[in-house]
Amino acid sequence: MGNLFKTKLNAATIVLIPACIGINYLGKLFASLLKLPLWLDCIGTCVGACLGGPVIGGICGAINNIIYGLTTGDNITLIYALTSFGIGIAVGITARLGFMETLPKSLVCALAGGLAAVIISTPLNVMFWGGTTGNVWGDAVFAITQANGMPVLLGSFIDEVLVDVPDKLLTIIITFLILKGLPEKIKALYDVDAKVERLD
Amino acid sequence: MSGLSLYVDQGTYLNKLHPYTKLLYVFAAILIPLIGGGGILFPVTIGCSVILLILGKTLKRSFPLIAFSFTLIIVIFLVQGMFYYGNETPLFSLGFLAFYREGVLYALRIGLNILNMLLSFAVFVLNTSPQELVEELEKNGFSPKFGYVINSVFQIVPQMMKTKDTIVDAQRSRGMETEGSLMTRIRAFMPLISPVVMSALINTRERAIALEVRGFGRKNKKTFINDRQKLKGDTVIRIILVLLTAGVVIRRVYSCL
Repeated sequence: MGNLFKTKLNAATIVLIPACIGINYLGKLFASLLKLPLWLDCIGTCVGACLGGPVIGGICGAINNIIYGLTTGDNITLIYALTSFGIGIAVGITARLGFMETLPKSLVCALAGGLAAVIISTPLNVMFWGGTTGNVWGDAVFAITQANGMPVLLGSFIDEVLVDVPDKLLTIIITFLILKGLPEKIKALYDVDAKVERLD
Repeated sequence: MSGLSLYVDQGTYLNKLHPYTKLLYVFAAILIPLIGGGGILFPVTIGCSVILLILGKTLKRSFPLIAFSFTLIIVIFLVQGMFYYGNETPLFSLGFLAFYREGVLYALRIGLNILNMLLSFAVFVLNTSPQELVEELEKNGFSPKFGYVINSVFQIVPQMMKTKDTIVDAQRSRGMETEGSLMTRIRAFMPLISPVVMSALINTRERAIALEVRGFGRKNKKTFINDRQKLKGDTVIRIILVLLTAGVVIRRVYSCL
């Protein structure tokens, strides 16, 4: 179990973080370019979590939102750094437990990431937006739950589940396909159990 | 390289102020109305931020930052105005849609809070260079490794955006459909993103080697390339901000007793 959080903080993992944040940006950009009703803005975080472990995943997520806040002037995303951090940790842990080996198994990863996102985002949504998430479909559902007199927290929770879980599912599938296509030479850089053999 | 950052050096006084002072302003502007109980304080802090944006010659550039929040504020108004759980007093109705006083007031409060946060943050973001902020943080003991991470994102992302344009053009010229039904668009996602992602991840290897060769992992103390001049205004502004925030906190505590 001690292996679960083991992290190498060498130059390779440090350069992995900005690359992952770039991937997050790209995912978001392509999702809006293709007008997909999902965010797909944490592919990089998931790649980082699978390659570098939960700690790197968490750092990727948190720094991603901090930089996003700095570059778009949208300081509300800063608070959602907590959510991204949670997603990175959850996906990292499940990946270390071996749930990224096959595509069916990776659904567990997606579920863990999705749940982490829902559990952390829901209270934030209620605090800052009064329960809405900013996604049209989710908010329509939220309006329905409120019209039927459900508590705000429950309505917001359903709103989040409907938006976040499918989003994370697709994210993890994409992550899985990317990792599968990655050459062994690159993956070996991030192997925590790798040993360097010295010839002196 | 500056494609990602919103900061433009215009040589104004706000540009010259220490990043921490501007950061402190953001905290003060957000906390004062929240602790002070809202009401009149929201317009005051929003007004302050707008004046600062005008003085920093950044008002025009702050519009796009705030524009996106209007749709959100409208959604909040609609949802809370009609369905807020405390709704009792009808305010007005549009056809069959009835709005209530409590919900509209609640939405107004959230909307003002959002606007206030965004404007005060715009003052910070539009007038502070991220590189300068990171360097000041490093001088105060922030890990240089993470400093590098933040700085390098500002270089890598525009680079990846350029690759992205090439790839979109390449795939389209091969006849890939990027418009149409939802399924077509989802299917287009993978061939678009995977080449950029692959090249980005493969590049990390070379980047890591390049950094290692330049002594990135060395633990000895590093020196800084920029020396910043001290401004007298920094201390004065910081003291005023801290006093104002403390004043609001004391008033709140006093009113609770």
